[in-house]
Amino acid sequence: MTRLGPAESTVLNVTILGQVVVNGIGLAAIYILVALGFTLLFGIMRVVNFAHGEFAMLGAFALYHLMKDVDWPWLVALPVGVIGVAAASMVLEWLVFRWFYQRMFESMIGLLGLNMMLMFGAVLIWDVYERNIPAAFTDVLILGDIILPVDRLVVVFIALAALAGFYLFIRHTRAGLAMRATAADVEIAESQGVDTRRTYKIAFFVAILLAALAGALWGQIYAVSPFLGERPLMMAFIVVILGGMGSIPGAALGGVILGFTESFVGTFYGAAASAFLSFAVVILLLIVRPWGILGTPET
Amino acid sequence: MAQRRNHYFVLTAVFLLGWPWLTDEKFLHYVGVLICITAIAAASLHLIIRTGHVSLGHAAFMAAGAYVSVLTVMQLGLPWPVGLIAGTAAAALLAAIVGPIVLRLTGKYFVLVTFLFGEMVRMALVVTPALTGGANGIFDVPPPWPFLLSNRAYYYFALVFAVFGVGLCARLLTCEYGRAIDAIRERERLAECSGVPVIRVKVTVFVIACALAGMAGSLQAHFIRYVGPESFSIVQSLNLVVMNVIGGMTSLVGALIGTVFMVTLPELLRGYVNLQQILFGFILFATMAFLPGGIIELGRRLRGFLRARWAGAA
Amino acid sequence: MTLLAVEGLAKSFGGLQAVADLSFDVGEHEILGIIGPNGAGKTTAVNLVSGVIAPSAGRVTLADHNVTGLPPHVLVERGLVRTFQATNVYVAQTVRENLLRGAFRQIYPGLLPALLGTAAARAARATAERHVDEVMQWLDLARVADQVASNLPYGFQKVLGMAIGLAARPRLIMLDEPAAGLSAEETDHVRDTIRMVRARGIAVAVIDHNMRFISDLCDRVLVMAQGRELARGLPHEVLRNAAVIEAYLGKRYAQARH
Repeated sequence: MTRLGPAESTVLNVTILGQVVVNGIGLAAIYILVALGFTLLFGIMRVVNFAHGEFAMLGAFALYHLMKDVDWPWLVALPVGVIGVAAASMVLEWLVFRWFYQRMFESMIGLLGLNMMLMFGAVLIWDVYERNIPAAFTDVLILGDIILPVDRLVVVFIALAALAGFYLFIRHTRAGLAMRATAADVEIAESQGVDTRRTYKIAFFVAILLAALAGALWGQIYAVSPFLGERPLMMAFIVVILGGMGSIPGAALGGVILGFTESFVGTFYGAAASAFLSFAVVILLLIVRPWGILGTPET
Repeated sequence: MAQRRNHYFVLTAVFLLGWPWLTDEKFLHYVGVLICITAIAAASLHLIIRTGHVSLGHAAFMAAGAYVSVLTVMQLGLPWPVGLIAGTAAAALLAAIVGPIVLRLTGKYFVLVTFLFGEMVRMALVVTPALTGGANGIFDVPPPWPFLLSNRAYYYFALVFAVFGVGLCARLLTCEYGRAIDAIRERERLAECSGVPVIRVKVTVFVIACALAGMAGSLQAHFIRYVGPESFSIVQSLNLVVMNVIGGMTSLVGALIGTVFMVTLPELLRGYVNLQQILFGFILFATMAFLPGGIIELGRRLRGFLRARWAGAA
Repeated sequence: MTLLAVEGLAKSFGGLQAVADLSFDVGEHEILGIIGPNGAGKTTAVNLVSGVIAPSAGRVTLADHNVTGLPPHVLVERGLVRTFQATNVYVAQTVRENLLRGAFRQIYPGLLPALLGTAAARAARATAERHVDEVMQWLDLARVADQVASNLPYGFQKVLGMAIGLAARPRLIMLDEPAAGLSAEETDHVRDTIRMVRARGIAVAVIDHNMRFISDLCDRVLVMAQGRELARGLPHEVLRNAAVIEAYLGKRYAQARH
């Protein structure tokens, strides 16, 4: 029997494999949350939200302050912080976003401007240094050879619950139906009596809620800083390119692919290799199938 | 009309050639050099925007030009003109490879992908320290010509390249080729069904534009005498976009006005980097939301308003 | 002499067969009509022939050259031009500028000559401008030459669309619903214009769903339904064809007529 080299024996190590899988699920779930909000804003309002990452950043800061300064337990701080960010962002919906609905090109550049304002505004309010959210759970779960940190498991659980909630919302509520109708065709939806202004506001709230939640969870794994939003934004881009812009199943599929790729390749070959691989996959897809795996070609 | 245009031309030329002698302030000459170099980059991005594609990765091509030029001079020991040509060629080659792929994408995907591309280039520079100096960059880059001892002299040197670069962009846009470019931007399908080879034009424009960006990158690296991954990052790409947005995106002159504004402002607001970026962000938002035609449209409206006032008063 | 020959043209989008086994030809001095109810696949057929969409199967031959699946700009170079159902003009430009853009093939001398403004470039420009003035005369657009296209009434914009196509000096022009949305008087004007186009040596294929318009104008007619050929022949033959009547007016009317 031939001897196994170091690489093979690493993969076979169940402990590491278990962690990589859980990591992958966690990353996938967070990426899906970010991409969902992003794709929602595009699908319903035809807006490309270049500032999407900043709302994730705000969610992370909200969680940080509620836990650190107000001293609330994680279980309370998370929902309050995330909903608070989404509610506060309605001001931005009124001041900034509503000028760009159904104006895709202007939205891209205009919201890029908002991205800059929020990011550097955050630098002024806070500073450039990274902070860490105090760990909510310090235990680990041990299943045979697999060691799983509980806080990671909780992140996975929360993210999956949010996705399930979103699915129920969009499929089984009137607001969700209105959103789907508006996404399909604005004019027809309006003529059918859908209140587009209200639908837009609800969609915006939900999208920011998902982004803020993703950011809060992200902040628990990584560190919190005004630049936290950059990576989730890029991940959102990659996910919607992979899955097709405006497609909810596409966002799910793209998030899963990206999350697991990052987890596996990142663990065994480093973060840079993982990033390059993601980019390479994106480029390859763009050559072969620019509208994404689940998207539809534009006529 | 043409006579008035000639007058503006002559006035601008006199101003550009003469102003450095009105002051001995080295800092102002330095800003002048930066404006010349940045004008080349902004004008070349303008070419791409005129075909209907907004690139958020233009600075990546400046980086390609800069690094190849620097390495050619410092590693291979060749004189700067060779470095300049090598840098320009490298940027053009990169554009020729990437262009045919990304230019087939519709507007929104093109923007996302160029954004990602810029990030890829930056990362590639960071993870190859042996070649590129990694995150630290390369210091003590030799100047193009040891005889360029003063900033003022350097200004005239840069001005020659700026006139060439911006002039090439202007000529391209005003000749028959420019007609095809505008047709593509306004109604791509109609243009194609009128015989315009759309992809070929877009790629050609892209390669020319990125080559000019590479040239500007080389000039900048050898002037500032440093090059690093942050010299040509997404921030610079965005600044170039802001310059074009201020100008209204369909006017080369507007992009040049935007360049002067965007280069001088940070120098005046030194030490307030965050405020600068917030201001630029606000300009992007406000322009796209309320005045997509930019400064040029503002100027047009103002003139119309004043004319009406005059006529009313008369 | 056959100018355009289409054989076995087909296109399916996923599961939907938009066009199947379509064959027809257009002669050099001919006006061919392609008619059918809405959804018959007429515009898809035009898109397939003109290169806007790549066919799933079939062959398109223009003046004995195989042009199947080539991009639209190549077909324009070879002499085939098409217009669009919805008005497709450069709305922010004057009529003259619209036509100059349509004359790209003639006016563009190559990148270097264009940049340098060579004598050849100037000559090409002069020729193209002369031709554009001619087209404006034919189509009675000279009086609005300096009007911005968006200011023109709908009927004029339709004509402008045709003019842009003619500015490219085609040998064959395919007109997609050239009379759609026009009044009876304007429709007559379009019909006369098409006859004039043929008189100048340009073959025409007219696509429409209006039987009367087509039968008054065309030498031969091809009837399409559900992506396939339903009937073909001289206009008066086709008008009396039971299957054609059924496709347009339903079974009961067809039966009543017999």
